[in-house]
Formats: sequence, structure tokens, C-alpha cells
Amino acid sequence: MLMRRALGWATPILSLVGLLAVWEWAVGARILRESFFPPPSGIWQQATMLYASGGLAGHVAATVARLVAAFLLAALPGVAVGLLTGLSATAREAFDPFVAFIYPIPSLLYLPLAALVLGPGELPAALVCAVTPFFVIALNTALGVRSIDRPTVEAAVHYGATGRRLFQKVLLPGALPYVLVGFRVGLGLTLIVLIAVEMVSAKQGLGALLWQSWEILRVRNMYVGLALIATLGVLVTSGFDAIARRLVPWHQGPARSTRRP
Amino acid sequence: MAGLIAGLAALGLWELLSRAGTLNPLYFPPPTVVGITLVARATGGDLAPHAAATLARLSLAFGAAALVGVPLGLAMGMIRPLRLVLDPYIAALYPLPKIALLPLLMILLGVGEQAFVLAGSLTALFQIILNTYGGVTQIDPVLLEVGHNYGARGLALFRRILLPAALPSILTGLRLGLGLALITTIAVEFTAAKSGLGHLVFRAWQTLAAAEMFAALAVVGVIGLAITRGLLCLQRRLLAWQQTYEWD
Amino acid sequence: MKVVVEGLALTFRTAAGDVHALQDVSLSVGPGEFVCVLGPSGCGKSSLLRVLAGLIEPSRGSVRITREKDAERPLTAMVFQDHALLPWRNVFDNVVFGPENRGVPKSERLRLGEEVLAKVGLTGFEKAYPHQLSGGMKQRVGIARALANDPAVLLMDEPLAALDAQSRLLMQEELMRIWGTFGKTVIYVTHSIEEAILLGERVVLLTARPGRVKATFGVDLPRPRTLGARAESEFIRLEAEIWSLLRDEVLASDRGQTGITR
Repeated sequence: MLMRRALGWATPILSLVGLLAVWEWAVGARILRESFFPPPSGIWQQATMLYASGGLAGHVAATVARLVAAFLLAALPGVAVGLLTGLSATAREAFDPFVAFIYPIPSLLYLPLAALVLGPGELPAALVCAVTPFFVIALNTALGVRSIDRPTVEAAVHYGATGRRLFQKVLLPGALPYVLVGFRVGLGLTLIVLIAVEMVSAKQGLGALLWQSWEILRVRNMYVGLALIATLGVLVTSGFDAIARRLVPWHQGPARSTRRP
Repeated sequence: MAGLIAGLAALGLWELLSRAGTLNPLYFPPPTVVGITLVARATGGDLAPHAAATLARLSLAFGAAALVGVPLGLAMGMIRPLRLVLDPYIAALYPLPKIALLPLLMILLGVGEQAFVLAGSLTALFQIILNTYGGVTQIDPVLLEVGHNYGARGLALFRRILLPAALPSILTGLRLGLGLALITTIAVEFTAAKSGLGHLVFRAWQTLAAAEMFAALAVVGVIGLAITRGLLCLQRRLLAWQQTYEWD
Repeated sequence: MKVVVEGLALTFRTAAGDVHALQDVSLSVGPGEFVCVLGPSGCGKSSLLRVLAGLIEPSRGSVRITREKDAERPLTAMVFQDHALLPWRNVFDNVVFGPENRGVPKSERLRLGEEVLAKVGLTGFEKAYPHQLSGGMKQRVGIARALANDPAVLLMDEPLAALDAQSRLLMQEELMRIWGTFGKTVIYVTHSIEEAILLGERVVLLTARPGRVKATFGVDLPRPRTLGARAESEFIRLEAEIWSLLRDEVLASDRGQTGITR
């Protein structure tokens, strides 16, 4: 049993370390072509070099700043619209056509329109990245509001919760697990669109770094960019899961799921 | 019904404002003009071939991802050592936007369909694997006890208990995977490919052909809607035995 | 003897340490006997059934179940607490699940399924899915599934615990009737004293965790019984006697159960 548990956490680590070691060895033994698959040690060297020359931090900062901005642009209106459409059938019907027309289109395709109307700058990029997560968050929040069971609300009203208090003490915490699912899935989608936007239209950012490395065929830089994006993705999701567990300790379900509506 | 009216009203308003010049018709041509462009391009122009290119990439990407992802996910769900070995890669690569792999794939495989399709396929693959093996590991243990106590062993246990119990989650994974594959495929076309609806939008941007852009957007929207709604219907049909379906 | 359990012990290893679920349980059940196992919640009575069903390996001791007919026949069939029907199978396919796994030919399954469904009063519901049935009907399907598998011993794990009070009464009567027609050997786990006396020919009382046999009572009431048996003086005497012993175990179990330490 103890053995089994030890294997449970040791195997994944061994698996990762093992792959990196095999990779390193295979390049040295000329089984993998170094020009396509630079060894992990070489990628690490390249990363420290890029960092020392001052470029790397700027790329990371640009991507993180855009991610935060786009997420806030999606989350605040998303929760508001979600609460509204969850509570009122009229609001839901008014919102439905937008869901049907705008939501199914991958939001990267709104970039031209946003760029044409708003001109150059950071705003169109952030807006485009916020479109899909906005809908995901709004839809999940509305689902969360509707998922609160009637007896809970009735009990709260019976014990004197009305208006603001009802909203703060019952509706918001009741919908919270779903709101968090929306946030988590929304964050993932924000990152997807953000990287694509940076690839086509930015000078700074990890997506831009990837695309510039592609144009001048700097494979090592490309791996550095990929590793950083992957790390960012893992940090965002695992960090988010940790926050979610704190915020909704009573709920072990959807807040930790990986789904998207 | 109310939604339809609201939608038509929004289009009507757009038409009016665009004709009046309140909305710049250079960026927001009236819906009627977009409609005429759409019909003309769809019948005579290159809209149909571009749509076909997108659909072909999407189906290849999704088909390959499903063929690999479902068996692999099932195996990971049933074989603990396999799960332990592969889990770190899934955890590290699932949150990575697969569009970021496109430049590398183009270097490894050349600028061509292989790289384009693979980027979309990998997007769907991780989602499908995750949902499939989640579906297997989260099976209610009492159903497995039923299987054992009533003599279902080996293949029978797999076919009669494991697979149907994991099916809802597998179908959800396929549906989400297809949606994500569409996003990546469009992004691939927008950034690198020289065909497809994503490329059409990009080209319209470069040439400031707003009517053409909206026409392409409309086609993408229809495809996106058809995919999600269609799969949702299919899921409901296949899972008729479920009481309330949890629409994640 | 049909079932002989000797010196059975069961220990679970958990992160918080070993949990002793059962300790030195010995028990014999004769052919055609209906034995009720009674105990406070968490005393390991469900685990006992799972050991008998071969779903869990005991840490110590032995279980011997004799089957007198052909070797094809399964040793046990379990009726689960929350019915545990397969939600993707309709009523009929749930009922013939066991025979299907044993490779019983389709025509034979058809006959068997109809026969058992008629016995539990579910004719006409063959095509319904579990989610379309009431709690009582679901558990009838669970019982039919077990009967259709024709086991040497029928194991029932609080099959009526999830039902409301009225359906429960109806199902108790129903169980007495069904048992009268099939005459199976039954080991029936419950936490209701009344249910144990009403259904059982013998009541085995388990202690709080770790579960041991605390006492055994013969139920000297005529069969077939009806709910009216509850008014008999023998019933009332037995109920009081068992409760006086069970009470201490429930209290002990409550103290040990919360898992919250101050």
C-alpha cells in the first residue's frame, strides 16, 4: 500500500525526467537531429541567454499583462450578464441571439474587425481574446444561478435574507462553483486566442517570439517560447485550481473539471 | 421565438445605421450587401472551396484525434501504470494552446497540410484523452461490483459496464474536442495556410473587403453552430437512458 | 450447512491507519434459511456481505458456500442498497444481466426474464429505463436481477433503506411473499430491528466497529408472516430485547463515527 502510494508520485516524475534524459542522450548519439530537436540542456542555455540579453522578460510580461487584461474584460461583464440572464428569463431571451451569432465563431476571426474599428494598439487584441471567455463565463454563471435549488433560496428568505443580502449570502456563493468553472475554462480559451493573436499581430509576447523565431528559423528560441507557454498554461490552471479549492471548499465537483460548454 | 425577433431586429438596426452612415459602411456593410456577396461568392466565387478546405482539415484532425484519443484514454483509465507514466505529459501539454506548436510542426513537417491538420488534431486529442480516462476512473464503484458479482469478466466487463458507464464523458470529450479543433484549425488558416475560411477572413482584412469578411464569418458561424448543436443532439440520442443530462 | 463463515476478520488500510471492519465473525446459515444481520451503521455488515459475495478478500478466516446443483450456478447474487441498476439497460436487460454473462441462450433468457418479472409484479415494464421507475420499482428490478441469476445464496444489503416509509412497508410484504415462492437461502443486512424480526428466521446482531457477533436470536413467529405479525407479543418482546443490546452499540458507534476529534 505504501509502496503503491510512493509509486503514485514517483512514477510521473521519473517519467518526465526519463524522457528528458533520453532526449538529451539521443541528440548526443545523433539519433535525433539537433537542428530540429535541440537537447534540453541547449534549450535551457538558450533561455538563460535570451533572458540575459533582456528580451525574454519583456515577452513574458507582455503575454501575462494581456492575459490578465483580457481575462478581466471577459470576467467582469461575464459574471454580470450571467447573473442577470440566470435570474431573468427576459434577459436570457435577449442574450440568446448573441450567443447564437457571436459565440460559435472562433474569436480570432474578430481581430480584423476590431483592428479596423479601434485602430492599432492593445485594446483590439485584448477585446478579441475576451469574446469567447466572456460567453463561457456568462453561460456558466447563468447555469450556476439556475442550479441553486429552490429550498435553499426559500429557507434563506424564510430566515430573513432579502435583496442585497440574499444576493450576497445565497445567490453568489451558490453560483460560485459554476462561475469558477467558467473562469477556468475561460482562462484556457483566452490563452489560446492570445497566442494566436500575438503570432499574427504583435511585436512583443510569447506568441510573437514563436512567430519571429519561425520566420528566421531559430528552432531553439521556438522551444524556449513553447516551454514558457506550457509553463504559463500549467501555472494558470494549477494556480487556479488551488484558488478554487480555497474559495469553494464545500464543493469538490465542477470547479475542478476541465470541460467547456 | 423572442430570440429570433431580437436577432432580426438587430440586423435591421445594423442595416439602417449602415445605410445612414452612422456605422461606417466600409467596416460594417449593410447585412443585405453581405447577403448578396455571400450568395454570389458561394455560387460563383471561391467561398465553397475554402469552406471545403476548412471542413476537410477539421474532419481529418478530429477523426485522427478520436481514433487515437478514445482507445488511449480508455487504456489510461484501466491501466494505472500507464496513467502514471502519461499523466505528467497530459498535464503539461493540455493547457498549452496547440496553435503554439504550429511553427515547430511547420519546421518538422514542412509548410503543408500535415502540419496544419496535426495542430488541429493535437488540440482535440488532449481533450478527448482527458475526458475519456476521466470517464473511466470516475465510474461508480458499485457498478463494477455489480459486474463482478453477476459474472461479467474481461471483455464482457469492458463492453457491458466500463464502456457504457464512461460513454457520457467520452461523448462530451469528443464534442469539446471538435469545438477546440475548429478554433485551432481556423487559427492555423488565419496565420499560415493559404486556403480555408480562416485564410479568407485574413485576406479580406488585408484587402479591406468587409462584405467578403462578414460572408466568411457567417459561414464559419454556421459551421460552428452546426457542430455544437449537432453533437449535442447526437449525445442526447445516444444517452436516452440518462435521466437528467448534465450539460457541463 | 449452506454457508459457513469461520473466524472472519477484515482490515482496511487507509492513509489515516488501519480500520478494523470485522473481527472474528463466525456464522452458519442452513439451506433455505432467511438470516437477518443487524447492527449499527458502520459496523461492517455491508463489508461482511461483500466478503461473502467475493468482492473483497478477507484478511483472515474463511467463507464456505455449498452449491448443491450444477457448477454453472453462481454462488451468490447481491441486491445492492441503492439498487445499483445499470442505467443504460432497460428493465428486462438489467434482469437478465447475470444469465447473459453466463452465456445462457437468448430464448432461455427471454423465458427466464419474463418469469421472474412476473413474480415481482413488473410485467409490462420490460422496456422502461431505471430512471423512469419509482424507488420501490427499481428495487424490485434489483431483486428480480438477483433471482434471475439463481444463486446458491441471495445477499441483500439494506435493499429497502432508500425507500420512503410506505413503500418500505409494501416491499417488506412483497419480500415475504417472494421468499415464500422461491424459498431461497437469504442473508439480509439491515439496521431496522423491526425489519429484521419481520423477515428473518434468525437475527444476528453485530457490535459496533470492529464488527463481531454480539448475539443471535431465533424468531419464533409462524410463516408466512404479514405486517400484522408486528402486533404479536413475541414480536414486541424480541424487539425490546434486541434494542436493549443494540442501543449500547449505536452509542458506541456514534462516538467512533464522526471522525472529528477535539
